[in-house]
Amino acid sequence: MALIELDHIQKTYDLGLSKVPALRDIHVSLERGEFVAIVGQSGSGKSTLMNIIGCLDVPTQGRYRLSGRDVSTLSDDELADVRNLEIGFVFQSFQLLPRATALENVELPLIYRGLAKRERRQRAIEAMQLVGLEDRMKHKPPELSGGQRQRVAIARALVTQPSLLLADEPTGNLDSKTGEEIVRLFLELHARGNTIVLVTHEPRLAARCPRAVRLVDGLVIADGPGREVAMANAEALGADALAQFHAAQKAAEARP
Amino acid sequence: MKMSSIRRILAEIRDAIVQAAVSLVSHKLRAALTIGGIAIGICSVILIFMVEAGMSNSFARQLNTLGPNTLFVHKWKWGVNGNDWWKYKNRPVVDMLDYRALQQNTTLPIAIAPIVATDATVSYGSKDVKGVDVRGTVDGYLDATGWQIRRGRFITALDQELGANVCILGADLEDAFFKGQEPLGQTVRAGPNLRCQIVGLFARKGVAFGRTQDLRVVVPLSSWIRVFGAKRGLSIAVVAPEGKVKETEDEVTAVMRNTRHLRPDQEDNFSVNRQDKLLEGFNQMMMATNVTGILVGIITAIVAGIGIMNILLVSVKERTREIGIRRALGARRSTILWQFLCEAIMVAVVGGFFGVALGAGGASIIDLISPLPASVDPRVVIGGVIGSAILGAGFGLWPALTAALLQPIEALRYE
Repeated sequence: MALIELDHIQKTYDLGLSKVPALRDIHVSLERGEFVAIVGQSGSGKSTLMNIIGCLDVPTQGRYRLSGRDVSTLSDDELADVRNLEIGFVFQSFQLLPRATALENVELPLIYRGLAKRERRQRAIEAMQLVGLEDRMKHKPPELSGGQRQRVAIARALVTQPSLLLADEPTGNLDSKTGEEIVRLFLELHARGNTIVLVTHEPRLAARCPRAVRLVDGLVIADGPGREVAMANAEALGADALAQFHAAQKAAEARP
Repeated sequence: MKMSSIRRILAEIRDAIVQAAVSLVSHKLRAALTIGGIAIGICSVILIFMVEAGMSNSFARQLNTLGPNTLFVHKWKWGVNGNDWWKYKNRPVVDMLDYRALQQNTTLPIAIAPIVATDATVSYGSKDVKGVDVRGTVDGYLDATGWQIRRGRFITALDQELGANVCILGADLEDAFFKGQEPLGQTVRAGPNLRCQIVGLFARKGVAFGRTQDLRVVVPLSSWIRVFGAKRGLSIAVVAPEGKVKETEDEVTAVMRNTRHLRPDQEDNFSVNRQDKLLEGFNQMMMATNVTGILVGIITAIVAGIGIMNILLVSVKERTREIGIRRALGARRSTILWQFLCEAIMVAVVGGFFGVALGAGGASIIDLISPLPASVDPRVVIGGVIGSAILGAGFGLWPALTAALLQPIEALRYE
């Protein structure tokens, strides 16, 4: 059974005077253990798609099944529970609570799961170890570097052992070196068996994913191995992006 | 309910309390202003009700000094307001004939004593004391009023018969005239020309209705009338046996009507006053105070509530992203709602606590510096704190609802 089944999803935003279609007809499915990049320019609908996959939003039409369960028709509270149980979010701007410590941030989703205090703490510590931040647990987000903050966010996403790790431009606010560390962390997590959906507009990131889906104007126009889709995407973006893409490819290949 | 849902609720409540505390501490000034507003409001309401309770208690105590079973037969009706004035003005005064008729023809009363009183200057040697309650009465007075003689004797029937120039002195006058000197046997002058010899001293009685009762001279009624005249009429104190106040009142009324030859269709031209009639007037006054207190309370609550609403709206605005994050991580709407309600309740309860403390402090100051005994009722304390919690929840509800109804995506995007 596929983990994610998007069955002719449509999403239209009603702006009163006009209706703006963000997703026209998305028909994609995703197996457990996959690492998929969703690429597209801004306005292509990739954020909308991510919100729907992450159960932060519901489609206007079509059916979305997550682990076989139709979530298109769930109530607000049920969606909240699905987000808590099935999905781990990693955002571009980290989205950590600034006044709580790193460890408390990681514990937060477990509060909504009703775990006992000691178990929450234990699991949060394990997640922090997994992302290599066991010595930064008592620090608050403003005291951490961008890369460290994103690691905390990843730990928070992993701590619930979700079916799906959903990352929205996770390297967008990081310099290229730190971004690379985060990408490697994702590849590592994928290797450990996590299912990851990564939304990005960077072709070089998509190129390193086993599979990529390219969106244009709310439609899937390419779905295949990351490298091919990314190259096509880069070509569409123009020579500049293509040069950047090849440079990134070379850099990645040069590394062991 | 499953164990995990109970644990979830407990963990959420704990988290909400911690977050609320952190939020308040990180905005000390803002929180302090709102808390101060609530505290002052709660404090003023508590003070109003405390003073009121104090007045009530003190009035009840003072009424007891009149004797709960004592009736007063008088030309005037107690607690008469302006409109009825003329009706009472033209009544005949209560006089010695009425007194004798009551004495001879009633069976129920335990004691009957006619009383006349005026304010006059009393002097001894070169010392003058103004505003002394100079009373004329007869030997039944002690039984009728519960006053006690500390030393010496009271007026006798013979004193009354002779119009003897004797008097009994109140404790305040004793202090004023005879520091370390024997008062008995000395002569004081009351009013223009009533010279009388001190034959007894009253035990100290204390304060009633905000006035000392010990600035007093009592002389035989006959002597009093000789000096001050009979124009003002008497007030006759009638003490009813326990539990027979109504019957005694009926009997007194019948005897009075009979003496005054009133036909059945004529109205009483005298009043039999009871202290519970005074109580009625007092209760009316207290009701007015109560209404004032409640009005002040409502206005205060609204003002304080607006403060809470304001602090919460700002908090919701500030923490919009946090709301988005929590929602993305699995917080339900109710979780967010409770989180902000918790903050509102916390502000209000802290304010309420300070208000109660201020109110209690204020009450003890009032108790110290004014004759009103103000006391702190534990119910007021609990009510103040619970009331402010309800206030916080009430006024926090709308901002908390706006927070709970935010769309997670919108909240996450909020800058």
